[in-house]
Amino acid sequence: MRDAYVVGAGQSDFGSFPDESYRSLFETAFDAAVDSVAGGIDTDDFDEAVVGTLGVGGRQLGLSGPAVTEHVGLHGVPTTRVENACAASGYAVRQAVQAVKSGMADVVLAGGVEVMTDASGDATKYWLGVSGETEWERLSGTTFAGVYAQMASAHMAEHGTTHEQLSHVAVKNHAHGADNPHAHLGFTCSLEDAMDAPVVADPLNLYHCCPTTDGAATAIVVSEDVVDQYADEALRVAGVGAASDRVGLFQRDSYVNVPASADAAATAYEMAGFGPEDLDFAEVHDCFAIAELMAYEDLGLCEPGESGAFVADGRSDYGGEVVVNTSGGLKSKGHPIGATGAGQVVEAFKQLTGQAGERQVEGATRGLTHNVGGSGGAAVVHAFEREEVGA
Amino acid sequence: MTGNSIRAVGAYAPRFRITAEAFEEAWGQFHASGIEEKAVPGADEDALTMAVAAAKHALEADGSDGDKVSHLAFASTTPPLAEADLTSRLGAALGVPETATRRFHGGSTRAGTSALVDAVAADLDEGVALVVAADCPKGHLDDAVDHAAGAGAVAFVLDDGGRDGGATVTESAEYATPYPGTRFRQAGAERTEGLDVTTYDRAAFREVVTGAVDALDADPEPDAVAIQAVDGKRPYRVAGALGVDNAAIYEVATVQDLGDTGAASAPLSLARALAAGVETTLVVGVGSGAGADALVVEHDDAGAVSADLDLDGGANLSYAEYLRQRGEVTSGPPDGGGAYVSVPSWKRSIPQRYRLEAARCVSCGALNFPPAGACESCNERDGTEPVVLPGTGTVEAVTTISQGGAPPEFAEQQSKSGDFAVAVVAFDGPDGGSVSVPVQVTDADPGSVGVGDAVVAEFRRIYTQEGVTRYGCKVTPAE
Repeated sequence: MRDAYVVGAGQSDFGSFPDESYRSLFETAFDAAVDSVAGGIDTDDFDEAVVGTLGVGGRQLGLSGPAVTEHVGLHGVPTTRVENACAASGYAVRQAVQAVKSGMADVVLAGGVEVMTDASGDATKYWLGVSGETEWERLSGTTFAGVYAQMASAHMAEHGTTHEQLSHVAVKNHAHGADNPHAHLGFTCSLEDAMDAPVVADPLNLYHCCPTTDGAATAIVVSEDVVDQYADEALRVAGVGAASDRVGLFQRDSYVNVPASADAAATAYEMAGFGPEDLDFAEVHDCFAIAELMAYEDLGLCEPGESGAFVADGRSDYGGEVVVNTSGGLKSKGHPIGATGAGQVVEAFKQLTGQAGERQVEGATRGLTHNVGGSGGAAVVHAFEREEVGA
Repeated sequence: MTGNSIRAVGAYAPRFRITAEAFEEAWGQFHASGIEEKAVPGADEDALTMAVAAAKHALEADGSDGDKVSHLAFASTTPPLAEADLTSRLGAALGVPETATRRFHGGSTRAGTSALVDAVAADLDEGVALVVAADCPKGHLDDAVDHAAGAGAVAFVLDDGGRDGGATVTESAEYATPYPGTRFRQAGAERTEGLDVTTYDRAAFREVVTGAVDALDADPEPDAVAIQAVDGKRPYRVAGALGVDNAAIYEVATVQDLGDTGAASAPLSLARALAAGVETTLVVGVGSGAGADALVVEHDDAGAVSADLDLDGGANLSYAEYLRQRGEVTSGPPDGGGAYVSVPSWKRSIPQRYRLEAARCVSCGALNFPPAGACESCNERDGTEPVVLPGTGTVEAVTTISQGGAPPEFAEQQSKSGDFAVAVVAFDGPDGGSVSVPVQVTDADPGSVGVGDAVVAEFRRIYTQEGVTRYGCKVTPAE
């Protein structure tokens, strides 16, 4: 199969934007992606588009893909909406890569969008948690914070993970997000702030939970046959892995990790021919602090059970073994559900093309993105490598 | 009168209690004399959930299962639905056969004793009768009815005498005459009221009690009197007329501890008498309006009736907490759409919700819950066999959902009763193994439940949507 490359990627600001629509946010992200293509790109070049969204708070549950691609002038371009909860646009990127690798398309737009902050408190309660297992898990009284908190309780019981270690995730990611002009919560916090915040779902407090966010992100995926028309240097999609699991935590084989993440990572590493020790950075799915810790273990960044010490010792920060969530992650950059996976690719693009500013990981050549749907019912991992592609 | 005899009894009262002092603090006075404290149903309890709890205690005391029940009677003046056959849900929660005779008795606090009289005379067709009375009346917050209003449930297992021992109902009689304006509840109303004409109310009580007892063939010469108690004082006003001293009433009374338990009042006192081995008990159930049943229960062989009475309190409420638990000061469920579980889909899951029916994979033997789809263990779809889990289990993962963090279905419950814990519980299989189920923890301080703790299943209200309350399984810490 031929190779696929990311030649451009861009995002809107992530945050709360009462003056923006899901269409206008997507337009901002699309324009940013187009502008980021070194050699320029025309809307006529696109063969295909894949859009991840959970349904924009219910206002466009059907055909939400064409609703945004037509808005940005991709008239007539076949567009598919992908729904895999919080992994929607990670899977959209994977679909784009598949379309390119299969030979059916040369230029594909992959993106995602969500508007989450303009609903009433009551309506928001209904929408948060619609991606959990509804009939049993949700109706036991949990939303996602509760389910991840249950995983945290099991991780603490099995591995001795501490409240302080969870809090280090927030401190690190806020420090990174403070250098990201697109971040929703771009401020720093102290360990004391993170430890003493109000409890949401014990043992998780407010600083162990990501916000709900408005935003959009897109990436442009092209084939090896046309890549040199668009850039001299691009991100080769070295590895792709994805896996599903039972939607409800209670039916899964493990409560202390996300088996779908581990499976997806194993597939991606095998395809890439490199592994966790070769990564310069990783954008991982830190919807809750415990999710980032489990990701370290599932992605092989540390041994099982050692994730708490790994973050507390700075091994996932600048100067450590691999810098995790340089963008600020879901915690600080924000989590507009359908846009999150594509947003991770935007950060990978910036890091691997040397455009990450204050957040730049020096000499970054390999990075990974990791996007999880629900509490682990779906996961997708992409491994990227910087490559000279110029003619 | 010869008929079916009582061979087991069970009782249940909610763990929440409020004292007379708490009322005095809130109102400056307490209108229910003779009541020291009373039971208060939790936000996820009602007459049906209390009935299930009492019935399970009775069946457990009897060492039998619901599948032997051929006659199921449910008595309550406060059923959670004014129209709808709740005996179907009660029976389903207990595993009672669909073809059993079912009777609901309501409309008056006499309902409990009436149900018992009917069950004594019922043709049991080699099965057993299960009679359950449960009540949780409500009055207007500032009146005597509400100050006295308590909560409790009681259940009796009866058979036709094929088994040795038990207690026999040797005689019964009744009496009714109109006394309008004594305790009543208007159609469609939630709260019971009364004109509170003190001497008239007392006269009604005295006339129907003595009328029913005088209609018995012989003077019962009771050792104890299990009599209707709207408060802790009125029962004693007829002690002289019945030829007993106050102690004969007091030693089996529950009103001073549980409050006015409506249709369960006199039957609860009978339960206490049987558990204590009292030889001859005169039972008098009184309904306002007014009528009374009188029964004589002989218990010759003390201890022949097995009893499991779970009537102890566990947590005291302030008056403000009392108002919250009862939903007096909360605003109801939130508006909005989103995830939605239809009533027909809930109905399909009732065997799992009510009785923890799981499935054993015929291919690999692993337990599955819910019993549908590919096996959780081997991923095959070769079929399963139904297995009812005994309801004991161990916490594998747990969280406490803080205020505001509940899904919308639970927002109202949370404003009533505060933070709650939700656990993934590994329920024990009947023959080894276990299977995990997500369940809410009730009747416990949420922070007190940890990974590795033992828990047991309870039947409770889960949530209400479109006017339909969905009942199902929660857990409480094992004792």
